[in-house]
Amino acid sequence: MAKSLGIFVTNPDNFAHVLGITKAAKAKGSKVKVFFTWTATHNAKDPAFPELCELADEVSICVDSYKKQGYDIEDVPQGLTSKEMATQAQHGIIIEDYDCYLSL
Amino acid sequence: MEYKKVCFMYRNKDYAVDGMRSALGLAVENMYSYGVVMDSEMEQLDEHNLESLEMLRDMEGDIYSTVPANVDKNGLEPIDIEELGEKLRDMDIIVPYGQK
Amino acid sequence: MKILNVYRSEPDETVKKLVEIVTRDRESDSFDLADASPDYDALVDKIFAADQTICWW
Repeated sequence: MAKSLGIFVTNPDNFAHVLGITKAAKAKGSKVKVFFTWTATHNAKDPAFPELCELADEVSICVDSYKKQGYDIEDVPQGLTSKEMATQAQHGIIIEDYDCYLSL
Repeated sequence: MEYKKVCFMYRNKDYAVDGMRSALGLAVENMYSYGVVMDSEMEQLDEHNLESLEMLRDMEGDIYSTVPANVDKNGLEPIDIEELGEKLRDMDIIVPYGQK
Repeated sequence: MKILNVYRSEPDETVKKLVEIVTRDRESDSFDLADASPDYDALVDKIFAADQTICWW
């Protein structure tokens, strides 16, 4: 069985890599979780963000970062639910519960 | 249970304060969490961020810097590149954080 | 302990020094993510084969 992969995204310039790696990992049968923080929460407004949410098993963003980047927290990005507007605890889950870790 | 050790590295001052918040976020999840401000001089930490630093230290984490001005101004622990490299060898998770 | 070093840009002297220390006496591999069209399939295989992945700036 394929290993699971957790991706912690801190750089908004890496969204294409996030998408490409998630696609490749899912094609291998891997479980993938992605968490975006700080300026990388801008990626939640990328036109391809809903596609990532479809592909990955779990996607969440740091709601505090999202707010500090100028967004209204009531404006839940397409592909996410309000529950997935989350905290840094999501990063902890990636580290504790996933076989492999990648920061981007 | 063995607690995970994590080290964040920040090379861009615009990412240092939020990166410290990420380090604190893992400390409250019962991990040994460290951050290192590299290359750039940060602004003076405000009271809220100084409290976060204290909380991190209370949970056996810390924030280091390779830049003497950050050590003087914000009370960060000094570290050089060789020491940082040796510290990284002991980490379970290494996070080169944000943009360079 | 097998380390995978992933590079998002050409590593500078600081990154080279840290990689040298971190990988000393350890097995290591690398992947160039700065490539115009990275082979994500190969990268995922390398991540799964490594004990630790470090994605440098």
